[in-house]
Amino acid sequence: MLPLSLLRTGQGHQIMVELKNGETFNGYLVNCDNWMNINLKNVIRTSKDSDKFWKLQSCYIRGNTIKYISVPDEIIDMVVEEEQVVKQHQPASSAGRGDSSSRGRGRGRGDGSGGRGRGDGSSSRGRGDGSVGRGRGEYRGRGRGDGSVGRGRGVHT
Amino acid sequence: MSFGNASLCDEVDKKLIVVLRDGKKFIGVMRTFDQFANIILQDTIERIYVGDKYSDKHLGVFFIRGDTVVILGEIDPDKEVKEKKLTKVSWEEINLAQQAEREKLQQMEQTKRRIMTESGLTIDSILNLDDF
Repeated sequence: MLPLSLLRTGQGHQIMVELKNGETFNGYLVNCDNWMNINLKNVIRTSKDSDKFWKLQSCYIRGNTIKYISVPDEIIDMVVEEEQVVKQHQPASSAGRGDSSSRGRGRGRGDGSGGRGRGDGSSSRGRGDGSVGRGRGEYRGRGRGDGSVGRGRGVHT
Repeated sequence: MSFGNASLCDEVDKKLIVVLRDGKKFIGVMRTFDQFANIILQDTIERIYVGDKYSDKHLGVFFIRGDTVVILGEIDPDKEVKEKKLTKVSWEEINLAQQAEREKLQQMEQTKRRIMTESGLTIDSILNLDDF
């Protein structure tokens, strides 16, 4: 888990951002990106010596001006939960991976179109590999037409 | 594991003190980091030292941007207090003390400057570089 993914989880929560120049911004985190640029709403901006205050409806802060951010404690637990959810969906997402690394799956299915394989493929992957994977499988299947290999790998997954 | 890289891997889940460029010191358990040394601290406290006095402020989960980090290292905050015989004071008191210390330093700096200018030297202060 990376620090920035924690920040992403914090979207919709109240955070406190201190900039390098000492100003602080309190508000709801609307959005953030990979550069740590952030959008806040309902913001209270506090001057460096905390003697002046401004109320802003929303604001955008460039990431590199940030010194640190205080986030609510519960966010850490939420990140852990989110990661578990992602893990549960891993088989499904591995269909996405199939197109780059484990083409075997695709092939297997492609064979399926030849007859035997398809039954195999669909039953072993019935878990819910995306239809995307199947589509790809057909291309490659035709190209390579190696039924046994495809099926074998398919079962592994 | 060692490829000649300085890595934060070994510090994960340990209690660290993080010193920022502005001199602030945060103590907390580092949960994660990335290639920029952005780090997440859990159960963070900010600790201010002035002389042999100190004070803590609880802050919770803290995201520190890597480019503001100067040093970080393992620390046992209670042991440190005992060994250095520090006395705990209130947050307000430490803030006042810090303010006083800053003013004193500033004054010393000004005096030094004046003397140097009088003897024909001008120095550009590097103290304000951090203000942007």
